Amino acid sequence: MELEQLKDQWAAAEDQDGVRLSWNVIPSSRLEASRLVVPPGVLYTPLKERAENTLVQYEPVTCKAPCRAVLNPHCQVDARAKLWICPFCLQRNQLPPHYKDIGPNAWPLELTLGYSTMEYKLARPAPAPPIFLFVVDTCQEDDSLQALRDSLIMSLSLIPQHALVGLVTYGTMTQVHELGYTECAKSYVFRGTKDYSAKQVQEMLGLLPSSLRPQAPMHPGQAPQQRMGPGSRFLLPVSQCEFQLTSALENLQKDPWPVANDKRPLRCTGVALSVAVGLLETSFQNAGGRIMLFSGGPATEGPGIVVGPELREAMRSHHDIDKDNIKYYKKAIKFYENLAKRTAHNGHIIDLFAGCLDQVGLLEMKSLANLTGGHMILTDSFTSSMFRQSFVKIFDKDADDNLLMGFNANFEVLTTKELKVTGLIGHATSLNKKSASVGETEIGVGNTCAWKICGVDPSTSVATYFEVAAQAGPQHQQAPQKALIQFLTYYQHSSGQFHLKVTTIARDLSGPTGDASIAHSFDQEAAAVLMARVAVFKAEVDDGPDVLRWVDRMLIRLCSRFADYRKDDATSFRLEKNFTLYPQFMFHLRRSQFLQVFNNSPDETAFYRHCLLREDTGNSLIMIQPTLDSYTFDEPAKPVLLDSTSIQPTTILLLDTFFHILIFHGETVAEWRKAGYQDQEGYENFKQLLEAPKEDARDLIADRFPLPRFIVCDAGGSQARFLLSKLNPSTTHTTGAWGAVPQNAQTIFTDDVSLQTFMEHLMKYATRWNISP
Amino acid sequence: PNQLAGQFGQMGLGGGAPAPVGKTVLNPLVPVDLMHNPFNPASIDLPPPPIILPPNTSVTPSPHANCPPSYMRSTLNVVPTTHNLLKKSKLPFALVVQPYNSLHDSEAPVPLISDFVISRCRRCRSYINPYVSFLDHGHRWRCNMCGLTNDVPQAFDWNPATQETSDRWQRPELNHAVVEFIAPQEYMVRPPQPLVYLFLLDVSYAAVTSGLLATAARTILESLDRIPNADKRTRLGFIAVDSALHYFSIPRDSTEPSMLVVSDLDEPFLPIPGDLLVPLEERREGIESLLSKLQEMFQDTQNAGSCMGSALQSAHKLISAVGGKVVVLTASLPNLGAGKLEMREDKKLLGTNKENGLLQTGNSFYKSFAVECSKNQVSVDMFLFSSGYQDVASLANLPRYTGGQTYFYPGWSAARSEDAYKFAKEFSDHLSSEIALEAVMRVRATTGLRMSTFYGNFFNRSSDLCAFPAFPRDQGYVVEVAIDEAIARPVVYMQTAVLHTTCNGERRIRVMTMALPTTQNLADVYASADQVAITTYFSHKAVEKALSSGLEAARDSLHSKIVELLVTYKKELTASHVGAATPLQFPANLHGLVVLFLGLMKHIGLRKSVQIPSDLRSAALALLSTLPAQMLMQYIHPKFYSLHDMDDACGLPHPETGEIVMPPPLPLSSEYIQPHGLYLIDDSQTQFIYVGGHAVPQLIEDVFGLPGVEHLKVGKGSLPILENDFNTRVRAVVDKSKDMQSKGVGSIIVPNLYIVRSDGEPSLRLWAHTMLVEDKADQGVSLQQFLGALREKVNNS
Ligand SMILES: [Zn+2]
Ligand SMILES: [Zn+2]
Repeated sequence: MELEQLKDQWAAAEDQDGVRLSWNVIPSSRLEASRLVVPPGVLYTPLKERAENTLVQYEPVTCKAPCRAVLNPHCQVDARAKLWICPFCLQRNQLPPHYKDIGPNAWPLELTLGYSTMEYKLARPAPAPPIFLFVVDTCQEDDSLQALRDSLIMSLSLIPQHALVGLVTYGTMTQVHELGYTECAKSYVFRGTKDYSAKQVQEMLGLLPSSLRPQAPMHPGQAPQQRMGPGSRFLLPVSQCEFQLTSALENLQKDPWPVANDKRPLRCTGVALSVAVGLLETSFQNAGGRIMLFSGGPATEGPGIVVGPELREAMRSHHDIDKDNIKYYKKAIKFYENLAKRTAHNGHIIDLFAGCLDQVGLLEMKSLANLTGGHMILTDSFTSSMFRQSFVKIFDKDADDNLLMGFNANFEVLTTKELKVTGLIGHATSLNKKSASVGETEIGVGNTCAWKICGVDPSTSVATYFEVAAQAGPQHQQAPQKALIQFLTYYQHSSGQFHLKVTTIARDLSGPTGDASIAHSFDQEAAAVLMARVAVFKAEVDDGPDVLRWVDRMLIRLCSRFADYRKDDATSFRLEKNFTLYPQFMFHLRRSQFLQVFNNSPDETAFYRHCLLREDTGNSLIMIQPTLDSYTFDEPAKPVLLDSTSIQPTTILLLDTFFHILIFHGETVAEWRKAGYQDQEGYENFKQLLEAPKEDARDLIADRFPLPRFIVCDAGGSQARFLLSKLNPSTTHTTGAWGAVPQNAQTIFTDDVSLQTFMEHLMKYATRWNISP
Repeated sequence: PNQLAGQFGQMGLGGGAPAPVGKTVLNPLVPVDLMHNPFNPASIDLPPPPIILPPNTSVTPSPHANCPPSYMRSTLNVVPTTHNLLKKSKLPFALVVQPYNSLHDSEAPVPLISDFVISRCRRCRSYINPYVSFLDHGHRWRCNMCGLTNDVPQAFDWNPATQETSDRWQRPELNHAVVEFIAPQEYMVRPPQPLVYLFLLDVSYAAVTSGLLATAARTILESLDRIPNADKRTRLGFIAVDSALHYFSIPRDSTEPSMLVVSDLDEPFLPIPGDLLVPLEERREGIESLLSKLQEMFQDTQNAGSCMGSALQSAHKLISAVGGKVVVLTASLPNLGAGKLEMREDKKLLGTNKENGLLQTGNSFYKSFAVECSKNQVSVDMFLFSSGYQDVASLANLPRYTGGQTYFYPGWSAARSEDAYKFAKEFSDHLSSEIALEAVMRVRATTGLRMSTFYGNFFNRSSDLCAFPAFPRDQGYVVEVAIDEAIARPVVYMQTAVLHTTCNGERRIRVMTMALPTTQNLADVYASADQVAITTYFSHKAVEKALSSGLEAARDSLHSKIVELLVTYKKELTASHVGAATPLQFPANLHGLVVLFLGLMKHIGLRKSVQIPSDLRSAALALLSTLPAQMLMQYIHPKFYSLHDMDDACGLPHPETGEIVMPPPLPLSSEYIQPHGLYLIDDSQTQFIYVGGHAVPQLIEDVFGLPGVEHLKVGKGSLPILENDFNTRVRAVVDKSKDMQSKGVGSIIVPNLYIVRSDGEPSLRLWAHTMLVEDKADQGVSLQQFLGALREKVNNS
């Protein structure tokens, strides 16, 4: 099949099932698999919104325990015998009685080809409505606090009326507001310096049945108090507590404790979070909910402290971390990790919203969002539109007016015997479930076939990795054999029911050794994203240079395995069409903020990496290799190389790095614009030229989460650095004489290697690589 | 009785003949046979033996030059000149000091010196007083304590108001033994402290269901105008306490208080830096709003915890920078957090040696924390309401060392209107009382005398300085005096000074000066001994002994002391002291001492019994060591009046004084109870209306509006107001009996009133009978038995 056709097929599979695979043909032998370099992997978006609704309101037919695979189009069904054979465990199962009438003319949806992804609305109701617990930092300037307050109050109109909401505020101390109390504003106060255990928090909030409570005489006729459990004093339906919560928010004051001029305000973020987690833990374990932290600065006291209160003590940088000489770093990491694990175990989400010019300690806190499927949004201030609009987007709703968010998902992978799952990289934690589908090796979070994803929304994408089983299936049966993977996502839908999303994909197994179909099935985009996730996962634990070397090694190995060349002759190096972009992706990945951290603060790095680990293939690729479009007179906009050569005086460039959207006016365009030609008669086409990229930018921004930063700049302007840092430095000051560089191209002052140099090296090493084991 | 009054008359009470020039004639020794002269209870209320000074001892002829006994009285109104003579007398030398004898200044005004001219001796720091002498044409004065000559201040004879020279002899400090100076700047280490009331309100299940919270909140609310606040600086704060601390923030711009709950009891902390202790004037609305909501805020509570110790720590944290009054209102045993107490009471221990442990502190927190409070000018009052064991013994430590008081309301319930009224009235009066703040008291005396021991509720900061974070107006103190050097002078002087801040923010010194004649003659000492002051002294000593060595030791030491005194009197001052037939004699002025000692030994705080809950004992001990002398006497020796046969004048205003005429008090013996009679027994804390089982229906009809005695409900109650003379007179007597102000004592106590029938509920009747100390009781002897035993002891010694 031609590449274009294959790509269409893959796109269709992505539309239908939310999957992209690195290899769309699975090697049938372990040896062959071992030479793939890029492991078989699937980037899966469980709740991907589909054009076609596949939601059904009945229970799925499942295989016997422990398999529990769900009936799907790839099952063999004997309609007459009312039997089906599970392709995963090969057991025979009786069809349920109400399936007695199925037959060629009446297949249930889940057996119909094209319904490889099904969503079952189960009869099991959620234990509680969705929960939103705001954790608000009050050590903020008045305008920022005011803006945040407004956003939160506004969100009450976006949150469903039956959803439960709660409020925790913190500064020097942490306050839990008892919204169910109507006599006056009431809150429980926790010392900011103390590491409260879960049990202490619960005792102090009065959430545990107290042994001190007298055997109260129940007055006849008196309704038992607190029918919903003690937690309902703090978390109530919006409809019930809107007044209390609104007035609590309106009365929010800047932390009243005095702050000396040479000090940071005391901020007990750690205690606030641990109290919030403890609150949900007792009364709402395994009921979907999100703790939304709004942080205006770093934790400066108590557990989870990231910097001391003395202003002369600076926030840690990547260099400090490298040198391993930060007072609080390791303790903080450990504290938040433990908290994150507890939260994930409880099935809750933690979102981190930072509104601060400086760092707030996202680096230390990242596990809170990463392990629970929470959002991470990094902004300068809560007054920024980036915060306001991104925050609103979280509450987007579907056509039925249900929030586009799922809670407390169990995500399970089943494989046929040819494949074993080796791990997952994404915002999930292991459920430590062993099954026949679990592989021997580990990529990401492995040694399990099931993970908890506490927060899952339509864009949440997880990368799963596979290995080919030691004893691949019998080779000599009738071809074509297929390997099957079933993804089961069991989650609390915001409508109040549990849903089960089932995606079953089947991919051809390769034929005898040397089958070219494997190489043809390589989806370089999916592969680049899957490998980027592995690289970032490694970078979180390993040294930067080691990861870069690993990326290089893997790229060279892949090329030497799949390129066409004569040994030791770099000029002979050729890549198949579906491989040609892959080296570029890796080139840009190497230079990206995901792996080159020193131009960013540790908080930014944490933020960027967080985003990469939740997006689908398309968005991830933009992050790895930004898109650049060029606009000039009398031509439609066209994509151009992410190269300094693309900068021309008479063009406008539109750069999309996912996090930034930048419009760059070439030198001449900028001069004209300054001169105001666009407002003069006779220059309508110039005006149009200026407008076109703006319109496109608006379109890009519209769907993006978090809201990207929007920059308009001119050639030579200081903001242009955002563009220049992304461009391939083909015209650096050291390589000025190289190749046919247009005279007016911009020269980039950098010591980075250019793509061209990179490719040269790649060709040299790949053709030299000894591929025999 | 008339006979006895006659005896006192002969002793020179109320003036007597002028003394011959040159030699002062002191009070004569008048012996009385204790076995054959019944003690007249009315004599307890008589003034002490007069202090007879040589002529012209005072620099002005003012009749107020010597200190009235209601402010300060000495156990000995003639002072032995040597330590040996004092030792020989076996009598104590002590001062009973009560700087205030009313709750409000307006009821007992004291001359105020407001010109900031405070002349004090350079050496002994005594204040100028009516007993100094002027030298050098009035330019210098000689100190009557130490003899040093001091300059008279320039402004001493200047009236700043009129800008004219004034008459020195009109100056109050030269005419009055009790005066108050407004202190200038140098008497302040910081600006005068504002009045601060921080209320710790129990909001646990017990407190809410008994109605304590509602009553307390309502009383505070209704008393807001009574809390002294003339300078508009008075500040209030509230912490509600159960198993957690509930702070209330009353911000400036909001009438809505907000509640901040702190459940972390390990180390108390303040949830916010301000708005917890707020000016009454400025935040009145918020305070009112809070008080009117408090009951509703906690009405559904199921909480049975009390972390009162932690609450106290927090309270201390909140007010220690300014100081002030912490008022604890609780119905619970603190069972959580700091100072956590345990249920220690065990009925089996009562009446045994182990009972003593129950009267001691159960947790050292209450002592050490009290000292901490004293340092920071924090005073604690305890209002205790438990229906069960509350460990009054431990809790009472806080008031004891901080100048506070313990008020105990066992089994209190707001559902009983008498209980609600009693507490509300007492609490409101307590809040209205013009207490002083950040006070210190020092007693100075003539060279040779030394203040050796101090008794009362305060902290003894240094050898002779008593510290009172708040100075109450309803307590008395005892200071024991040692004679270190032989006194060569005919008169000695004692001066008590209380430096304090008034609740209106003024720094003042109250000075009380007393002059006492001296003698080398033991008979003079006995003849002028003050039985009330002596009993007060021994009441304090007995409490101290009970707490340190136990109840039995306390009773024993009282017993041996009275024996010792009788023996000393017999051996040293009776002419013939041989033979068993010798009468048991004592001076007439000490006639009551035997009965008072018996009363003390049989008092609920000290008597041998297996039935007195330790909380009741502890509360009684707290009163025995704090009540002003006049009240204390009644507490030890209750008033007993016969009502059914009282004179027609009784219960009506006296035609001249306007005071209600009381019937004569009866000796405390059931001999006086007739089966058809009606009596009032009143120990100042409790009143019993005792009705004979054969009371005629008319009497019951007149007094209670009921057809007959069988309709009379016994127990806590009140007298109905009826339209008949007898009812009016009975009520007037009952009311007058509890009117402490008319007795020259400030007190908030509204005694409980119980109706008792001689044929009614036995336990109640027994209780009333325990007041009759001359009777033989369960484990106590009758007065006759006591006297008999004493005589035997004395004669055999
Ligand atoms: Zn199966
Ligand atoms: Zn002197």
